[in-house]
Amino acid sequence: MRPWPLLLVLLVALPLVAGVATLPPHDAPDAPIHTQVGARYLERGVAETGMKNLVTAVLLNYRGFDTFIEVVVIFTALAAVLALPKGSAPVPKGSAPVPKGSAPVPKGSAPVPKGGPQAPEPAAGSAARAARAREEERPEVASDVPVSPVVRFVVRLLAPFIAMFAVAMLFRGHITPGGGFQAAAVFAAVFIALGLALGQARAARLVPVDWRPWLQGVAPLAFALVAWIGWRLTGAFLGYPSDDHTAQEAMGFVLEVAIAVGGGVILARVFLEMET
Amino acid sequence: MSDLFDIVMLALLIATAITVARARDLLAAVVIFSMYSLTMTLVWQHRGAPDVAMTEAAVGAGVTTVLFLITIARTTRREKP
Amino acid sequence: MLLFGLDLDYVAVVMLFCVGLYMLVAKSNLLKKLLGLNVMETAVFAFIVTAGMVEGGDPPIMVAGTSAPFASPIPHAMVLTGIVVAVSVTAVALALIVQIHAHFGTIEIDELKELP
Repeated sequence: MRPWPLLLVLLVALPLVAGVATLPPHDAPDAPIHTQVGARYLERGVAETGMKNLVTAVLLNYRGFDTFIEVVVIFTALAAVLALPKGSAPVPKGSAPVPKGSAPVPKGSAPVPKGGPQAPEPAAGSAARAARAREEERPEVASDVPVSPVVRFVVRLLAPFIAMFAVAMLFRGHITPGGGFQAAAVFAAVFIALGLALGQARAARLVPVDWRPWLQGVAPLAFALVAWIGWRLTGAFLGYPSDDHTAQEAMGFVLEVAIAVGGGVILARVFLEMET
Repeated sequence: MSDLFDIVMLALLIATAITVARARDLLAAVVIFSMYSLTMTLVWQHRGAPDVAMTEAAVGAGVTTVLFLITIARTTRREKP
Repeated sequence: MLLFGLDLDYVAVVMLFCVGLYMLVAKSNLLKKLLGLNVMETAVFAFIVTAGMVEGGDPPIMVAGTSAPFASPIPHAMVLTGIVVAVSVTAVALALIVQIHAHFGTIEIDELKELP
């Protein structure tokens, strides 16, 4: 074991512990975090936003800009995953790794026969080891193993209930714990479970191909729309009319549904993209 | 009681994190990391953050673990010493 | 809970952060590095949530059955944002790792460095 990582960790740990020692106790009610703007949100949040779950209120109303940029971030992450070349040829058995200088292995190129291009001895040895390791791993690739009927049955049995839980979490997010992001993650989890148990082809049909581009971008688009409506109504970008509770609730509802659908579809698409 | 819960959970968190760091088998590391996330979920629920706990349970212990498992299936399971 | 004047909860979070940092800098395997990054992220989130709690506090949801003191809602909202960004980062990094393995046959930094 090299000593320098431990040294670095120690160098980071000492100032961190020293800094933590100066903080007030974490459960003190008079710590600055409870006396600053947080106290105001707790006091007036329900009256100002109409949401009883103040986490949702902060997320969508008070700190709406943050959430706007965040949905753009996950959209960008999907774009980055999709931009990577898909299904590139695996390194052929027994050959050396592709040298960095040469062009990457083109899609669908003929595999180099065993004992093809020879690299310097140590690299070739490690490549052989890597190839052997891959050979051992092969049977564990999910798609090669038939799914046990027990798993299949349990997933099919539970999927509607889990999806219903996600919907309940979405629609009751303003009064109970939960909301758009949680529902998005649970939707994606249901999709992933179905994809692993029933095969991706069947799961992929849950999201129609024609709608996919729109569904993937629905969260940033809905935010832009709501921000524009808020601008028309109040004169502030992403402003909420503070006296009109119906409009507030409608805007919050649109954002929650958009986050749940958009986030869920994006996570599911990332899964599909990595699986195939 | 509350203190005891905290101590047990924090000890479990540190133990699982160190186990993840020490495991040579990447599959084991990922599964233990999933357990670490679930323990973190309990800690957050205990600290009055059910929203965060729900997200972590679905994202940290669910989606992230699956993505890691797919990566292991497509790359290699052994960490070279 | 205090020990030698140090808040144990915060110290535990610092330890988790350091374990993650160690994995990030010391491990050669890219997947291990990413796991370390995830451990660091959760440690930071735990720090923020811990800072926002109150002794005997309820979750910041104003319905019948909850009463003051409430935990601060801002840290929770920020951590929610952070978790979703963290999973985005993880997804992109994993996709890159799969590509690196497909092109070079290894995900060990030591071996990747030795490639011509």
